[in-house]
Amino acid sequence: MATAPRLERIDAYRWRVPKEGGMRTHGLIFADEGLIQDLEGDQAVQQVANVAHLPGIIGPAIAMPDIHWGYGFPIGGVAGFDEAEGVVSPGGVGYDINCGVRLLATPLSITEARPRLAALMDALYRTIPSGVGASRSDVTLQRRELEAVLRDGARWTVEHGFGVPADLEAIEANGTLEGADPGAVSDRAKERGKSQLGTVGSGNHFVEIGYVAETYDAAAAARLGLEPGRLTVFIHSGSRGLGYQVCDDSLETMVRASGKYGITLPDRQLCCAPLGSPEARHYWGAMNAAANFAFANRQLMAHYARRALDQVFGRDAAERTRLVYDVCHNIAKMERHEVGGEPRRVCVHRKGATRAFPPGHAELAPQFRDLGQPVLIPGDMGRYSYVLLGTEGAYRETFGSTCHGAGRRLSRHQAKKLARPRNITRELEAQGVLVRAATRDTIDEEMPEAYKDVSRVVNVVHAAGIGRKVAQLKPVGVVKG
Amino acid sequence: MPYRFFPHTGDAAVELEASDEPGLRAAGVAALRELLVGDSPVASESERRISPSGHDPAERLIHFLREVLYLYDAERFVPAEASPGGVRGEPFQAGRHRAIREVKAVTYHGVEVRRSEDGTLRASVVFDL
Repeated sequence: MATAPRLERIDAYRWRVPKEGGMRTHGLIFADEGLIQDLEGDQAVQQVANVAHLPGIIGPAIAMPDIHWGYGFPIGGVAGFDEAEGVVSPGGVGYDINCGVRLLATPLSITEARPRLAALMDALYRTIPSGVGASRSDVTLQRRELEAVLRDGARWTVEHGFGVPADLEAIEANGTLEGADPGAVSDRAKERGKSQLGTVGSGNHFVEIGYVAETYDAAAAARLGLEPGRLTVFIHSGSRGLGYQVCDDSLETMVRASGKYGITLPDRQLCCAPLGSPEARHYWGAMNAAANFAFANRQLMAHYARRALDQVFGRDAAERTRLVYDVCHNIAKMERHEVGGEPRRVCVHRKGATRAFPPGHAELAPQFRDLGQPVLIPGDMGRYSYVLLGTEGAYRETFGSTCHGAGRRLSRHQAKKLARPRNITRELEAQGVLVRAATRDTIDEEMPEAYKDVSRVVNVVHAAGIGRKVAQLKPVGVVKG
Repeated sequence: MPYRFFPHTGDAAVELEASDEPGLRAAGVAALRELLVGDSPVASESERRISPSGHDPAERLIHFLREVLYLYDAERFVPAEASPGGVRGEPFQAGRHRAIREVKAVTYHGVEVRRSEDGTLRASVVFDL
């Protein structure tokens, strides 16, 4: 492995990775001094430099303050590519295509919900399958239905009674990405996905019950239905096995394509193809289809979360539970941005990063037009999560992107070692967080100390102007795989 | 042991060591089995055929491990060991095997197969978790 690249401090929240060797541009990392120190000993900064080698990159290779060592792009990586000269790279999207989060606001307060919280957690655990290889026997899709999900995303789910039309207005891209080609998704991927719609999976995915603990902009929080004390449902999942297989299938093709188009790569996982090439078009069709599957997956889980609320708190509580927002974390999209004062179409890769469009952006639904796009930042299962709004600063500096989470601090092995003599479930329950999980292994690997304090990450994006804090949520119950 | 996990913040990284390519595949299967089912007993009951393909040893290794992972994920076939024709193992049984975590993929990140002066082959592989 190469020696770690140099870092130059620009200001309190920005660091430059100078352009060296085969880099076509510099790297730009948003972080404070402490977060930069956390990167010592891993390859995340090298990965920022690697991304800067890719053809057609516009502006710097960017990393958010939750940056950590991934594969190909770092987690927390953002890069824009020119429509004519740039590339698309599956390593810039990741295996879990459209991994993302959605937040629901219930009409209940934490005070009235707390006495029946255990029953709610049991109901969620029963209605939303979690864990390794989780599948649903009640929603197994026939081939034609699966292809409709891949084409239409969350819209298919709502049309089939899983949710209400208003949900679609509160989803990035209204829950359906254009350009999806179900025919570009392999039979293997379809086989892996057909019984996984509506399942949370394992690892860092979750369904979490929380409440609004603090607001930083009371008026904006109220507009989003996030008054202090309000009970919330947070869902984190993606395209499950279908998306992993789409990425896997594309890599062999892209390794060949990189050679065919004379693209020199510092890491094979960054394999890519020019945006207009047949290889890129094929991946684009399959990636958007997998992203639509993920939107439908989170929509279906939200439907079952409402059903759990109905079982415990009654129909009125379920019907008045509304979607605050749903955002992608892992995606590549064609977007219009201003580059050097000129409007340009840019292929923006976000891998472990969130779109954060500012007030007034034409792609936002009318109810968000004057506020800016809601941005959902989950933390760990013991501390807190945040709701932010997109800003002009993000639009100018990061292709309208911001952070996506806390970022891991410990490897899974280190976390398990630390957790072994302890009972993390009991510790969390003592803190007021009820845990429902398929195995102890996931709880240990996902223990709160395994993550950075998400407030450090959020405070950096807020101070740097690439996100604006609106509310803090605290967890009271979590379903883990 | 022919494999050793080394610290990786987000995912799982392993270094494999063997005298030849089949040995690397065997070490890779052992590491993947540990990630998937820990120390659960896995019998070499039946074989699934896999023909490793790729232009170099690294590509062949990754291709082989991806196929093993696909068999586990799509068919619930738990790998026990690499065999000359592919991989041997048995169907997943809830009481016998402990599904520890989801392995999303075998990545190409930083993969290379190196031969040291004493002839040993070494490869590092990152699994996406």
